[in-house]
Amino acid sequence: MELKVLPKQAILAKTFHWINVVSLFVMLTSGLQIYNANPVFGGRAGIPIPPIFTLGGWLAGGRDWHFAGMGIFSLNLLWYGIYVIVSRRWKHRFVGGNDIKALQTGKNPKRKYYAWHRVAYTAIVPILLLAILSGIGMYKPAQFPWIVDLFGDWQALRIVHFSSVPTVIGFAIVHSFLALKVGGSRLIDSMFW
Amino acid sequence: MQNFSRRDFLKIAGVSSSGLILGGCGVPIFADVVGAVTEPMNQKLEELLLKPDTPVPEFAASQIEPGKLIVNTFGFTPVIDPAKFRLIIDGEVNQPLSLSLNEIYKLPLTSMIIRHVCVEGWAAIVQWGGVRLRDLIQLAQPKPEVQYVYFQSADRYSESWDLRSCLHPQTLMAYQMNGEPLPVQNGAPLRLASPIKLGYKQSKWVTRITLVSKLGRSRGYWEDQGYEWFAGL
Repeated sequence: MELKVLPKQAILAKTFHWINVVSLFVMLTSGLQIYNANPVFGGRAGIPIPPIFTLGGWLAGGRDWHFAGMGIFSLNLLWYGIYVIVSRRWKHRFVGGNDIKALQTGKNPKRKYYAWHRVAYTAIVPILLLAILSGIGMYKPAQFPWIVDLFGDWQALRIVHFSSVPTVIGFAIVHSFLALKVGGSRLIDSMFW
Repeated sequence: MQNFSRRDFLKIAGVSSSGLILGGCGVPIFADVVGAVTEPMNQKLEELLLKPDTPVPEFAASQIEPGKLIVNTFGFTPVIDPAKFRLIIDGEVNQPLSLSLNEIYKLPLTSMIIRHVCVEGWAAIVQWGGVRLRDLIQLAQPKPEVQYVYFQSADRYSESWDLRSCLHPQTLMAYQMNGEPLPVQNGAPLRLASPIKLGYKQSKWVTRITLVSKLGRSRGYWEDQGYEWFAGL
């Protein structure tokens, strides 16, 4: 799609996006550092993550970064959620019936990419919330035992929490690709600058 | 349960021999700064979340996971003669104590089946039996200004806790595990066991409990190297 005018993004949407990108990067890399203390898959015999992808230097450092990142990441998601509801952005900025219709019966391939784009960035929201919920379950299992029970057992909780890593990386790739398809580098620029 | 040994410590980093020192894209010095900034907030939140009188829900005997409890020791496994063992309770107390094992066994026995959570990420459901730490503290008659409790172990491991967590009804000085006498590798004759703290807070082979009003410069073996002090669950 050739856009004549640079698309405009709300400053608050840009702010959310920036903080989300940076805090998620910190959460992923420090999380992988923690992972290496006892790999979710295989325990001590499991394959550790190469140190280049980890943050914090050792377990305690990884935990420091993870706990620093989690507050920023969660509060960012919280205020953005309130903003989306108050500004009624949820009505027209996220996936809706018209996108589903375009995907099912639409003929315009550009409209379909746009629909997929909206499906993708809407679907990541509950995944991020699940990462927070499973994280709280691991952080304070004695205070919130019902969260651990919700996931079945401790190992299931660890797997769900860890699955945020491949999911977020996969999302970042798909999201960037779809944004490029929908609005080219102009759309991407508009979200960052 | 103490944290991983020096050997494991190096093994975990083994993918790159410099892993722990240079550490990927983050050097530990940044972690120190991040920890210094965020750990006070983290601790405030943990203190707020702790319900000192509310027991954590327990598990059924059929849920015990004996194979999942990994033995972590920072140094060596001390050999203690049970006949000569004494638990010293001292510090800012009106009634310092030196208790033999038989004296400890005569105190009321509490059994609990709880999840033991290690800082490394693994967990195991374990049955612990022993005497409530708060019963021992009461016997020693602490002075009103006592806020913290130090634990010294026979292997020179040390820990310090906040008093509120020590008075929790499920904080035990345990001498039984999974229905058997506590094995030596798990801390016999006497160890800390509690569902409200990470494993490295739960000292094994405890020989001395010291009640104080102020924390000293050392706050525990792992804490002195950068682990969180409160480490609440």
